[in-house]
Amino acid sequence: MSTIRNNYMNPYLAGFLLGMVLLASYVIAGRGLGASGAARSVVVTTVASAAPEYAEKSPFYAEYFTEVNPMGSWLVFLVVGLILGAFLSGAMANRLRFATDRGPNITVRTRMFFALGGGLLFGLGAQFGRGCTSGSALSGMAVLSTGGMLTMMAIFGTGYLIAYFFRKLWI
Amino acid sequence: MAPLIPQGIINPELNLFFALLLGIGFGYVLEQAGFSSAKKLAGVFYGYDFVVLRVFFTAGITAMTGILFFSYLGWLDMDFVFVNPTFLYSAILGGIIMGFGFIMGGYCPGTGIVAAVTGKTDAMVFIIGMFIGIFVFGHFYQSFESIYTGHFLGNIFVYDSLGMSRAWFALTLAVVAIMAFTITQMIEDRIKKVSPEQIKTRPSYMLPSFLVVIALIVFLFLPEERRSNIREARPPELLAQVHGEDAYISTHRVILEIKHGRDDLILIDTRDQSEFERFSLPGAINIRADEILQRRWRPLFKQDHRRKVFFGNGSSSAMQAWLTAARAGYDNVYILNGGLNRMFSELFVESEMPDTTAYNLQDRSNARFLYEARQFFLEGGLVDQEEDRRQRIKAPEESEIIPVIGGC
Repeated sequence: MSTIRNNYMNPYLAGFLLGMVLLASYVIAGRGLGASGAARSVVVTTVASAAPEYAEKSPFYAEYFTEVNPMGSWLVFLVVGLILGAFLSGAMANRLRFATDRGPNITVRTRMFFALGGGLLFGLGAQFGRGCTSGSALSGMAVLSTGGMLTMMAIFGTGYLIAYFFRKLWI
Repeated sequence: MAPLIPQGIINPELNLFFALLLGIGFGYVLEQAGFSSAKKLAGVFYGYDFVVLRVFFTAGITAMTGILFFSYLGWLDMDFVFVNPTFLYSAILGGIIMGFGFIMGGYCPGTGIVAAVTGKTDAMVFIIGMFIGIFVFGHFYQSFESIYTGHFLGNIFVYDSLGMSRAWFALTLAVVAIMAFTITQMIEDRIKKVSPEQIKTRPSYMLPSFLVVIALIVFLFLPEERRSNIREARPPELLAQVHGEDAYISTHRVILEIKHGRDDLILIDTRDQSEFERFSLPGAINIRADEILQRRWRPLFKQDHRRKVFFGNGSSSAMQAWLTAARAGYDNVYILNGGLNRMFSELFVESEMPDTTAYNLQDRSNARFLYEARQFFLEGGLVDQEEDRRQRIKAPEESEIIPVIGGC
C-alpha cells in the first residue's frame, strides 16, 4: 500500500502547482478552469445535430444555432488539454491500465450502477451550479465569488451529511 | 495589463492554444495528485484519505493569494476577469445535487475525465452518466428555468456578502485551510493507525504556511487604495491637465462634427437623466459622472480612436466625469468647453448673420459658420441623422461585454 502511495505527488505540491495553473489561466485568459462545460458542449452539439427539431424548441440548445461553434470553445480545448495531460502523466508514472475502482464490499455491477447515477447527478448539478468542482467551486474560490463559494460549501457539506448512508459503497 | 488576452496583449487567436496548454497542466497535476482513483477521492468523506481537501484548498489559496496581489499591484484588472455570477438558489441546489453525485459516483467531472483517460472503466461510465444528466437538464430546461435564472445577485464577491474586507477574508480563509490540513492529518493518522515514527519522517509544512499567512497579513496593512489599472494617472498630473487646454474641445468643433454627421466623437451627456430626456445633443448618450467607471461602459471607453466628449450645462459635471475617466486611465477624453450653455448662446444669440464688413476675415468666417449651424439646427437637419446616430452609438452601449463567459 505504502509503495503505491509514494508514487503520487505530494498533495500540497500538487495543490500549489494546480493553483499556479489556475492563476496562469486568470492572468492569460481572465477566466478559470473547468471541465463540465465541455461535456455540455458535447451534449448540445450531439443532440442538436441529431435531432434539430427537438433542439430548436429549447433555449438550452440555443448556443448551437448561433454562429459560434460550441465545440470550438475555450472549455472544449481546455478539456482536450486535460485529456492529453492526464494521459501523459499516467503514461510517465506507468499507471495506464484498465481497472474498475470500487470499495471492498460491492460488486462491479453495483459500482457501475452508482457511477452512472453519480455522473448523472453531477452533470445535472453542474448546470444549476454553473460549473462543477473546478469551474464553480475552485475557480469561484480563487476569485472569491459568492456563488462559487456557496456551491463549494454545498458540494462538500452535502457530501459529509450523506456520507454515512453511502458508506457501504466505499468502506 | 493582465488578463493578457482580453486586454489584447496576447493575440486572441492564440486563445485556444493557451486553453490547450493550460488544460495539459491541469490534467497532468490532477493525475499526479492521484485523482484518477475514485476510492482515493471518496476518502475525503470517510477520513481515510484527505488528498482532495489538500490539493483543492492549497490550489484555491495559492490562486486566490496570487490574484489578490496581482490585482492590488494593478497587474490584473479584475474588470476583465470572469467572476462567477451568483444565482443564489441555483448555486446551492447545484452544489447539493453535485454532493450526491460525488458520494455516489466517486468522481467529479474533471477527475472523472482524468480517471477515464488512465483506463478506469467506472469513470467512463460516470462520464456517460454526466452526459445523460446534462441532457436531462436540457430536456426539462423550461421547468428549471425559474430557479436557474432566478435570484441573480450579480457577480458579487463573498467578502462583500459577508461585510468583510477582502484582506481579512483572504487571511481567515487561509488560516482555516491550514487548520483543516492539520486536523485532517491527525484524523487520517488515527484511522489508518500510522505509527509516530512514520509521522516524524514527514516533511514539515511550517515554512510555506507561515509565508502565506505573513503575506496575507502584510496585505491587511497595505493602504486601501486599490488601483484598477496600472496606467492610472496621479492627481497632480490630472490637475495640470484639467487646467491646461488639452482637456477641452471647442463648441465649434463639436457643432462641426454634428453637422457633418461624423462619428469619431462620442458625446456623453453627464447631466441627470431627466435633463437628458428633455433635451440633449443628437446622438449623445447619458452617463453621469458617478457612473463612468461602471463595467458596462468599459467597451465604450476602450474605443481609443474615438474622442469621448463630456458635456453638461456648464463645465462642472463634465469636468468631474473627465477627472474620473482620466484617472482610471481612459485615453482620448475631453470636456466640451463651456458646455451646452456656451454652445447655445453662440448658436442662437451671437449667430445673426453679420451684414457689416467691419469684421476681420477670421471673425466673419466664424460668424458664417455659426449662422449656418443655426440654420441647420433650426431647420431640423439633425432630426434625420439623430435616429441614425443613436443607433450607431447604441450598439456598444447595450452589449454589456463581459469579455469571457465562463462556467465549467
